[in-house]
Amino acid sequence: MQRVIAAINKEFLQFSRDKMLILLILWTYTIEVILCAYALSFDVSNLRLAVNDQDKSQISQRLIEQFTVSDYFGKTFFVGSQDEINNLLDSGDVDIGIIIPPEFSERLYKGRTSDIQTILNGTNSNTANIARSYVLSIMETFSQDVFRKFLHTRGVDRNIPYVEPEIRIWYNSELEFRYFMVISMIVVAGVLVGIIHIAATMVREKETGTVEQLIVTPLRKYEITLAKIAPTMTIGLLALIPSLIIALWFKVPMRGSILLFFLTAAIALFSSMGIGVFISTISNNLQQALLISFFVLFPLMFLSGTLVPIESMPEALQYLSYLSPVRYYMEITLGIFLKANGIKILWPKLVSLFAIGVLLFSFSLYRLGKKMYV
Amino acid sequence: MKILLALIKKEAKEILRDPVTLATAIFLPLILLFLFGYAISLDIEDIPVAVYDQDKSQESSKLIEAFTSSGYFNLDYYIDSFIDVDKVLDRGQVSLAILIPQDFSQKIQSGEKTNIQILLDGTFSSKALIISNYATAVVNSYSRQLIENHLAGKGISLEVPVKVIPRVWYNPPMSSVNYIVPGLFAVLLMAFPPMLTALSIVREKERGTIQQIYVSPINPYLFILGKIIPYGFIAFGEMLLILGVGTVWFQIPFKGSIFLLIMMSLIYVLCTVSIGLFVSTITKTQLAAVLLSLIITLMPSFLFSGFLFPITSMPYMLQLYTFVFPARYFNDISRDIFLKGVGIEYLWSNMIALLIYTLLLFVITSLRFKKKLA
Repeated sequence: MQRVIAAINKEFLQFSRDKMLILLILWTYTIEVILCAYALSFDVSNLRLAVNDQDKSQISQRLIEQFTVSDYFGKTFFVGSQDEINNLLDSGDVDIGIIIPPEFSERLYKGRTSDIQTILNGTNSNTANIARSYVLSIMETFSQDVFRKFLHTRGVDRNIPYVEPEIRIWYNSELEFRYFMVISMIVVAGVLVGIIHIAATMVREKETGTVEQLIVTPLRKYEITLAKIAPTMTIGLLALIPSLIIALWFKVPMRGSILLFFLTAAIALFSSMGIGVFISTISNNLQQALLISFFVLFPLMFLSGTLVPIESMPEALQYLSYLSPVRYYMEITLGIFLKANGIKILWPKLVSLFAIGVLLFSFSLYRLGKKMYV
Repeated sequence: MKILLALIKKEAKEILRDPVTLATAIFLPLILLFLFGYAISLDIEDIPVAVYDQDKSQESSKLIEAFTSSGYFNLDYYIDSFIDVDKVLDRGQVSLAILIPQDFSQKIQSGEKTNIQILLDGTFSSKALIISNYATAVVNSYSRQLIENHLAGKGISLEVPVKVIPRVWYNPPMSSVNYIVPGLFAVLLMAFPPMLTALSIVREKERGTIQQIYVSPINPYLFILGKIIPYGFIAFGEMLLILGVGTVWFQIPFKGSIFLLIMMSLIYVLCTVSIGLFVSTITKTQLAAVLLSLIITLMPSFLFSGFLFPITSMPYMLQLYTFVFPARYFNDISRDIFLKGVGIEYLWSNMIALLIYTLLLFVITSLRFKKKLA
C-alpha cells in the first residue's frame, strides 16, 4: 500500500511541474466551454431576405409582413427585379429571395393559387433547411388566415373542421442550443484530457528510459498503472467543478443526480485513459503517441453525437459509434442533465462505458506485461 | 542560399527517418476526410416518430399518412399508452410523438376545432426547430385540405392562395456533403501541418539539440525558412491529395477555377506551417505543444471558422474573435470557389488577410528566435 502511495506521489509531483499543461487542461474545461456555449449554435436567426414584389398590393404586403415581423428574419431588401435578387445571393448579402408574381392579389380574391418563387442559398445546407422550414410554415399559416377570412366574408365559417397542432417541446422547452453545447464541451474536455495526458505520460517514461527503472521496482503492473492514472483522474474530476459552475451560469438545468454525474465522469475518464494507455503501447515515441491520440480523438468525438446527431449519420457509422465510449458518456450526461434519467434507465450505457475501459486496460496491460518480461 | 539548402536537407532527413510519423501525417487526413465527409451531416430526413392514435379512424390514419408521405417522417412506433410515450422519448428512440385524441374524427365530422398534441425532443435544439416547423406545416396543410373538402361538399371551390416553389441555389440537393467537404480542407490542413512543425522544433528543444542551432552562426530567418519550406512542401502535398480525393470521391460540384484554388491553398499552407513555428517558440514540451496546437488551431478551425456553425449567429464579440483564426478566411475562399464559382474579385480581401497573417507570424517567430540567439 505504502509503495503505491509513494508511486502516486511521484506522479503528482511530475504532473505539477508542467504549469503550462495544467493551464491548458483547465482551459479546455472552462474557457473553451464558455466560448463555445456563447458562440456556437446551429440555430439560425436574422436571415436576410430580398423581396421582389411585382404585385405591390395590400395583400402582398401582408404576406411580406409575416416574414419581417418574425424573429427569424432580419434585414429585408426590397428590390425591383429578379436580377437584383440574383446579385444579392451571389455576393452573399441575402439568404433568401422571394418573388411575388404580378397577379397575386387578383388571383387570391378569385380563390386561385399563385406560385411564390423562393430562392434559397443552399451553400450551408443546415441554414437552408431551417430557412425552408420557416418559409413553409409561414406560408401555411398565411394560407390558413386567408381561408378563414374568405369563409367569414362569405358567411360560411360555421361548422368548419379544423385541426390545430399543439407542439410541446420536452427537455429543452426554450430550444436552447447552449444546453447541448455546454454538456457536449464538458464531455469532450474529459475525453480529451483522459486520452492525451495518459498516453503522453506513459510514453515519456518509455522514451526517457525510466520505464526500466519502474519495472525493476517491486511495484506490480496494475500498481504502476494505478499511480499513472491517479493525477489525470484527480484533475479530470476536480476540473468538473468549475465546469458545473459554468453550466449553472448558463442555466443548464441539472435535473438528475449530481452524484451520478460524477460517477459517470469517473467511469468515462477511466475508459478514455484506457484508450490513452492503449495508444502508449503501440507507439514508440512521444511524437507518435501524440499524433495518434490526436487523431483517434477526433473521429471518436464527432462520431459520438457531441457535435451532430448520430441519427443523421449513415447507418454503418451509427453502428460504429457504439464502439466509442464518448457516445455513452454523452448520452448519459445529456440524460442526467436534461431528462432527469436515473440509474434505472442509464445502467446499460454505464455498463458499456465501463466495459470498454476494462477491455482496453486489460489488453494494454497484457501487452505491457509481455514487453516487461521478455 | 547554401545554408538554407543544407538546413532543408537536414530537415528532410529527419522527416524521412520517422516513416510512421510521415505516413500518419499523410494518410490520417485522408481517413478523417472520409469519416467527416460521411459523419458530419445535418441532413434531416427519416425523423423517427411514434404515434399514439386513440381514435383509430379513417381521419386519424389520413393524418398519419400526411406525416409519412411528407418525406421527412418515419413512423417507427405505434403505441398504446401515455407511459409508452414517455418511454420512447426518454430513451431517445423517437424525436417526436404524435398524440391523436379519442374524439378526433368525431369533431372533424361535426365541424369543430380539434387539437392534436405533438411532443418533441428538444435536446438538440436546431433539429427540434426544423422538425417543429415541418410538423406544423404538415398539420396545417392537412387542416386546409379538410376545409377544402368541406367547401367542395357545399359546392364552393377554393384553392390554396399561395404555393411555395422553393429553389435552392449553389447546392440544389441541399446535401451537407457539398458544404462540409470544401470546408473540411481548411480544417484538416489546420490539423496536421502546424502540429508537425511545432513538434519538430520542440523536440529539438526537449533533446537539447536546439542549443547547437543557437551557437551556430545561422541567421534566424534562414533557420525558420529551413523549417517552413520542407513542412510547407509536405503540407502542400497533403492539400493536393485531400483536395483531389475529396472532390472526386464525394462528387463535389466544382464551379470555379482550379488554378485559383491551388494558389489560395498555397498561401494557406504557408500560414498553417507558420502557426506551428509560432507555437514552438512559446512551448517547452511536446505535450504542451500538441495541446496548444489543439487549442489554437484545430479547435477554432472546427468551431469558429464557419465550418459548421454559422458565424452570423454568433454574438458580435465572438464574431470578431473568428477573425483571429485563418481557417475562417480559407473556409470562405474554398466554399466560394467550389459552390459559387466566384473569382478573385470577390475573394481578394480574404486572400490579403491570409497573406498578412502569414507574414506577421513569420516575423514574430523570427524575432523571438533572434532574441534567443543573442
